Amino acid sequence: MSLKNIYLLVTIILLIFKGYSCERLHELIYSSIEGSAACFRRLNGTHQTGCSTSDKGAVGVVHFVQDHDDVLWLATNASAGPYMAVVSTSKFGLVEFLIDHPTNIAGVLTYENASDIPSFFTHDTRCPNEFSSADGNQCSSSKEGGVVWNEKGTGLLKREIPFPIFFIPESRYEEIEKISHCFGRFNYDKNNQRGRSLCSIQLNSFMFAAINTEVCMRRSATSTIVTTTKVCDPLGDQNVYYSLFPRTKESKKQSITLVTARIDSASLFDGVSPGAASSVVGLVTLISAAAALAQLIPVSKSNLYDTNILWTLFNGEAFDYIGSQRVAYDIKRGVWPPNAPLAPTDVKLHVEIGQIGGSLSDYVNENIWPLNAFVPTLAPSTINDGENDIQIFLKQLSNAYNMTIPGIFNGSLPPSSIHSFRRILSNVTETGEMLEMLLVDHKETFTNVFYNSALDNSDKIAYAYKNISMINNVTFISTAELIADGLMKETDTQVKISRLATALAHALYQRVVGEAYTGNITVSAHLVDEMLYCFLKNETCKLLSAAEFGGNEGPREGAGPAPLYVGVTSWNTVAPVFAGHLLALLTGTQLSLNKSQCETKPESGYTRLWLKGWNHSGVCIETTMNFSQALSPAFIISDYDFKSGTYSTWTESVWQTMWARVFVSASGGSACVAAATGAVSTLIAALLTFWLRRHSSLIFVDPPSATIVVDDAASGILRSVNC
Amino acid sequence: MDLSKLPNDMKLQLCKSYFKVGCLFLPFVWAVNVCWFFRDAFIKPAYDEQKLIKKFVIMSAIGAFVWAVILVTWITVYQTNRVSWGATGDALSFIVPLGRA
Repeated sequence: MSLKNIYLLVTIILLIFKGYSCERLHELIYSSIEGSAACFRRLNGTHQTGCSTSDKGAVGVVHFVQDHDDVLWLATNASAGPYMAVVSTSKFGLVEFLIDHPTNIAGVLTYENASDIPSFFTHDTRCPNEFSSADGNQCSSSKEGGVVWNEKGTGLLKREIPFPIFFIPESRYEEIEKISHCFGRFNYDKNNQRGRSLCSIQLNSFMFAAINTEVCMRRSATSTIVTTTKVCDPLGDQNVYYSLFPRTKESKKQSITLVTARIDSASLFDGVSPGAASSVVGLVTLISAAAALAQLIPVSKSNLYDTNILWTLFNGEAFDYIGSQRVAYDIKRGVWPPNAPLAPTDVKLHVEIGQIGGSLSDYVNENIWPLNAFVPTLAPSTINDGENDIQIFLKQLSNAYNMTIPGIFNGSLPPSSIHSFRRILSNVTETGEMLEMLLVDHKETFTNVFYNSALDNSDKIAYAYKNISMINNVTFISTAELIADGLMKETDTQVKISRLATALAHALYQRVVGEAYTGNITVSAHLVDEMLYCFLKNETCKLLSAAEFGGNEGPREGAGPAPLYVGVTSWNTVAPVFAGHLLALLTGTQLSLNKSQCETKPESGYTRLWLKGWNHSGVCIETTMNFSQALSPAFIISDYDFKSGTYSTWTESVWQTMWARVFVSASGGSACVAAATGAVSTLIAALLTFWLRRHSSLIFVDPPSATIVVDDAASGILRSVNC
Repeated sequence: MDLSKLPNDMKLQLCKSYFKVGCLFLPFVWAVNVCWFFRDAFIKPAYDEQKLIKKFVIMSAIGAFVWAVILVTWITVYQTNRVSWGATGDALSFIVPLGRA
């Protein structure tokens, strides 16, 4: 070979390597689908729910589903299956048909499309938490008729789904365009797909747990010699509580008004549970009302009154009331709150701020926000011609709200933490010693048609962030000034929430002090605006960076709201921490102490937190706010019978990865050619070997003796052992 | 090891020791013994040690067969009933499968 030829060869080799060595082969074949959220597996005492794939993932040919004809075609006529149905959230109802006919379906990819928002989207059951409801519940998912709270609910959140479902949010719409392009290029001729190269999707969300909570907890606890794999974790997180006045063992005599709301929401998909109308509106109302009441009644006056307000935020309520079941259970056994436990009879009134966000979008052009108060059936002896404690409070609240909040007595009680108290503390709730009231925006059916779903976002409560600067960076502008300056309107969601929170604070003031409030302290709609922004739009916000621990430096990384799904006990989520710190910052007493002094032990009944403060220089806050574990009693009672149905038994499966990718699958033709080539070459090789053995004498001058080789059957193997 | 190069007395010793090792709950050693010495025990022309070798090979074969029957029975019973045995089934399992019953 001449020098010139060698040079040419080297150049070609270099060119080949330069061109292709940068990308690995699988990167050339697959294109990852980024930003998707998968449906995953949860388990309760009797069932497994949600989705899983095999450990290698599910592969299917892409098919965009537009109408019922498409799903019918997939289920009956499609020939190149299994298929991966790609469906807009507005057509998600079609998935129900696929779930009933899953044989030809590998999975579903659903995407959010801002120009095509579904008229409803809720995958909780028609009667949320039906099996943890107190006696007298008239809502039944299985029976027709009666009350149905979540009329549009498909129940998918609590059902076993036979294939994986992935969700692509609006912010990742380009992924759908990519798939659509691939689909248009390879799969468009749907009647002629067999044996052709087709655009396909692979989804992987292999779940470790199976069967039910009992089995998965047993398998997680078993420590065999080789495997100690944890397959599931109990759902749970933290409850937040804060009392208006400090509670110590000495001040235990005070009667308590419990005001509660829920923190968590849920959705079918991992990490996407905005919960705007489901929970955030109630949560924000509670925090802002607590902040206002702390201003109305300074903590220094605590010894003047014998009523205390205990504000509590429950977590895990979407899954059979985890947080409230635990609190009620702990009150029953006298260990909650830990520093000064309550007796069940101490709680005279329990006011739950339930689901109130659903109707905000219905009254977007009006300055009203009608609410209802459900009061569970009272013992006849406690109803006393409108002079009942709860009727008095309702009247005070209605007066403060400038709008009648009608009480609904003797009806079925909507899903709320009150069910937990009525089941676990039935001896005080049934006699009327503990009165209960649930504030909601609906009557027989939820106004929120996105209950516990991935699409329950800020648009559903008609919220738009105003981004108004604070006065000197420390004070919020009052609602009256905002309206006078034209920065907000009476019809704005923020203003409506501030009106309700103000009414609640004033009514509670009257309950504590004994006379109506006449001052001018109200909840600022500016504060509400900021708080909604933090919980719905972006956790990197003014309020939360002020309420962050002082030790943390720099702005928090995070390009969206904190997910409100309760998560697993072994991993605390940020939502309750945000809510707790906000309560502390907005209600606590600011002490002029430096960081090290702040760490000293406070007076009984208080805790101290070193938070960043409004100007981020660090403040010492003395507060009565604290956290308590929101883990179902089922997991702390030894030998609890998970099938008994007494307490929440939800667990979440462990998984290793979740990913999705799109690729063009080879047509069957190339595989057949490969198999045929392999068979033919094997045959040729065999024939050649046979011929060579027969005619070895032609090739080898002195062929070796065959006697050694065929001496005995095992010798061929054994000769390799050196003896 | 090439048996053909081994003297007959060494063959007997080897066959015997394989049989003994197999007694330590190692039926595969018996099975190997059977395969390995089958030719020497039954096919080769008679020699002094053949009778004993035959005896060990037969005993190994019976042992291996009994073991195989026991193992196949147990594995069938275990695999078909593990799920219905519940907690016991899990306790008997060295590796519990992920993501299914």
